[in-house]
Amino acid sequence: MRPFLDYLHSNVTPGEYGSYLWAVIYILIIFAVASVAVMLMTWLERKILAHMQVRLGPMRVGPHGLLQPIADALKLLTKEDILPDEADKMVFWFAPVWVMMIAFLNYVVLPFGRTHAVTDMNIGILFVLGVSSLSVLGVIMAGWSSNSHYPLMGALRSSAQMVSYEVAMGLAIVSAVLMTSLNSTGTGTLSMIGIVEAQKAAGRWYIFSMFPLGLIAFLIFAIAMIAETNRAPFDLPEAESELVAGFHTEYSGFRWSLFFLAEYAAMIGISSVAVTLWLGGYLRPFPNLLSGHSWDLAFSLFPGLVFTGMALMCLIGAARMPKIPQMKVQTIGLWLFGAVIALIAAVLFLPGVRERVQDIFWFAAKVAVFMYLYIWYRGTFPRYRFDQLMNLGWKVLLPISLAVLILTALVGIRQDLSTVLMGVLR
Amino acid sequence: MSNSNFYDDAPVEAPGKTFLDSTEMVLNMGPQHPSTHGVLRVILKLDGEKVLGTECVIGYLHRGVEKIAENRTYAQFNPYVDRMDYVAAVSNGLGYCGAVEKLISAEVPKRAEYLRVILTELNRLASHQVWLGTHALDIGAITPLFYTFREREEILKIFEKYCGARLTTHAFRIGGCQYDAYEGFDREVLAFCDAQDPRLDEYEELLTTNRIWLERTKGVGILSAEDAIALGVTGPVLRGSGVRWDLRKAQPYCSYKDFDFEIPIGLSGDTFDRYVVRIQEMRQSLRIIRQAVAGLPEGPIMAKVPKVLKPPVGEIYHSIEAPKGELGYFIVSDGSTQPYRVRVRPPSFVNLQALDIMVRGRLVADVVAVIGTLDIVLGEVDR
Amino acid sequence: MSVAPLLRKIFLVDLIKGLSVTFRSQHPNELITEQYPLERPWIAERYRGQPRMAVNPDTGESLCNGCGACALACPEKLITVTSDRDPVTKKKYMTSYTYDVSRCMFCGLCQESCPTDCIELSQDYEMALYSREGMTLDRVRLEKGPEPTEYAR
Repeated sequence: MRPFLDYLHSNVTPGEYGSYLWAVIYILIIFAVASVAVMLMTWLERKILAHMQVRLGPMRVGPHGLLQPIADALKLLTKEDILPDEADKMVFWFAPVWVMMIAFLNYVVLPFGRTHAVTDMNIGILFVLGVSSLSVLGVIMAGWSSNSHYPLMGALRSSAQMVSYEVAMGLAIVSAVLMTSLNSTGTGTLSMIGIVEAQKAAGRWYIFSMFPLGLIAFLIFAIAMIAETNRAPFDLPEAESELVAGFHTEYSGFRWSLFFLAEYAAMIGISSVAVTLWLGGYLRPFPNLLSGHSWDLAFSLFPGLVFTGMALMCLIGAARMPKIPQMKVQTIGLWLFGAVIALIAAVLFLPGVRERVQDIFWFAAKVAVFMYLYIWYRGTFPRYRFDQLMNLGWKVLLPISLAVLILTALVGIRQDLSTVLMGVLR
Repeated sequence: MSNSNFYDDAPVEAPGKTFLDSTEMVLNMGPQHPSTHGVLRVILKLDGEKVLGTECVIGYLHRGVEKIAENRTYAQFNPYVDRMDYVAAVSNGLGYCGAVEKLISAEVPKRAEYLRVILTELNRLASHQVWLGTHALDIGAITPLFYTFREREEILKIFEKYCGARLTTHAFRIGGCQYDAYEGFDREVLAFCDAQDPRLDEYEELLTTNRIWLERTKGVGILSAEDAIALGVTGPVLRGSGVRWDLRKAQPYCSYKDFDFEIPIGLSGDTFDRYVVRIQEMRQSLRIIRQAVAGLPEGPIMAKVPKVLKPPVGEIYHSIEAPKGELGYFIVSDGSTQPYRVRVRPPSFVNLQALDIMVRGRLVADVVAVIGTLDIVLGEVDR
Repeated sequence: MSVAPLLRKIFLVDLIKGLSVTFRSQHPNELITEQYPLERPWIAERYRGQPRMAVNPDTGESLCNGCGACALACPEKLITVTSDRDPVTKKKYMTSYTYDVSRCMFCGLCQESCPTDCIELSQDYEMALYSREGMTLDRVRLEKGPEPTEYAR
């Protein structure tokens, strides 16, 4: 028992500590939290999209529709499971399983905090790149096994789109990794936690370094990331107005919900990668500039303050609900929800919890910004036609990312040379 | 268009070959489809993504309106015409009442004509708003739909206060208007006009300069002026191709002579030009409404029309500029209380013929955009 | 290409303009949803909804004199009126009145043709029923008038 609990006093990830059991515990926690996050995403998407469309979104299922994801899940679980007659049954069954597996496999290396990752592989980013390419296989399997030409066309389009944008994505990642090697020792790192620590050592997030090269690389990754996850404005493969639903046309009920959840999980995973590479991962704002005990304290109060704000919103909203008998259950529900969030806020103010949770909170906040951007883009932009989409990927993003890579390397060499020269002269 | 059977040109499959081996694929954008604007069936012959030919199958919404007309009196048929182009119901009524009034040579009072113009132009705005929302939705922009329906809600409220119904308005009667303007009508209409101008700017901000929108609509579905005239298309489709023809200016009816407005025309006949033409038409409609409300004369609203209407024997064709094109009514009277024949010339039916030309050689995704830009309503196509 | 459009293209100005429009419309003042059935819509006075027959408020008698103008005016021929003549006062009075709502298109021609303002289309729109039996309204039901529904949830 003692060696088991000793891990809690150490300051490393389970992978470094060498404990399989803790790694499994971390995996289970991450899986549970990711599933809850995905369900929350479905609610958030409907609400935020609705507010952008000057309407309210789900309001009836729970207070302000908070129980809607549960209602959706129940509906999908109890729906009839339709298997097309001529479909290849084994592959048909396996495709959503594969896509779901790959979407969650990303989470093994994501650095939620300095010590809060399942493991810190020293080829972390390479692992992520390789794993995200495997999801194309699931899409093709789904489209082919459905034995119908709508899904087939959708699957082929989707796979072509994902493959083309991976090239630009990979080059953007390489230019970020290149920036990790511009330090005193001259060696970079592929490990995710290492990249974040390199940003801390360099004193600025990579999105701001070598301005505007870091920014352009980030924008290329941001655009490619949307195309990878088949979201608007690149969602032609699943465009309703044209091909019914693309590669998941023939899927119904629980199988379809697996595709749906895998899409959201992939969105969160790939946003986490973007946050790690360019936005400083789990670092709080200004870790070097505003350092010291008092600044640390001030920043560590943030999570508690955010949750307090959310609790206040819930409680004030509950107080303002119409006082008619039909709304009694909803009002009580909202009071309870507000109370639970206030409790979480109180826990987050405790000194022991404050320090540990800080990293995770800043990471989650940055990923949440990306999620909002995803929903914002979906609400605003029309869809690209398929040939225009491929045009954009190959003829615009690829040359720009190549140019950014070369320029980053050149600027890096210049910096290195100047450092070496300074060292020699001194 | 040729008379041959569409499937005569289809390649004969050799034994042993499946649909995956041939180069041509027949795809059915069936009656149940999210973006065929009603129950329209479009059979596409595709080579991969490229469209080689189309065939439209209509008639899923045929209700026999013209046959019903033969068994109703002239006044009783009035509510049925709203149900043809149900998106813009008021203009159907205007066309029918105008045709019957021409048949019996009735003189509609000035105040009734101005009220008719105000309601018809509001109805033009409402129709174009539905068009804008659904067209943007087909192309992928999902929010303009809700913005345009928010404005349309205001217009429908005005209709409800005026005549009692939002959609199937039955607003006009033969000889004038049944209802006079309600208390606060001009104030509300002017308030709506003032609120609508910045909203139009909002739609333009969201779409007109957006690069994705431009790529999806520029150069897509080009219809040349010669083809447009040869096919007989009318309305914004014709004006988008560069032909300056608007019935409100060419053959003025119902006091449109009194108003000062312009007719926007497009330059190249692609989808983007038709989009700009319709947005500009919305602005011109606001101009007309403001002038009409300002100049609304006092007086009676109904001409002296006999209660039992027996028009003289004869036939008449009267057409108006409905939001979708030229809406024409051909009425044959045999002297009795019921018309002998009422033939409706729906603009969407004739405009739909242009689909084949506009879509040949383009991709499947453009078919959806082109159906949207033609602005068809199946209630009108099928009657 | 001149400088300004090129810069606008590079800096994605058009996309940012579109994003700002959707961002602005999230303001709570812009929401237009009416949460029916908790919030009932405002109905105009001239609204053509469920038909009803007016009754003289002082005497309680029906205003209908059995003339049959509404039955003649209806395009769908769904009103049937039977009348009788009072032998003493020689005035016509209505004996039975049926209105078939299932085919009614709420055009309002009946209320326009009524000389005594008896039949009118009221402002009630919640007319859903579980079967067709309730769709043929007789005089009693018409005189009772609209019954607003109270929803439990």
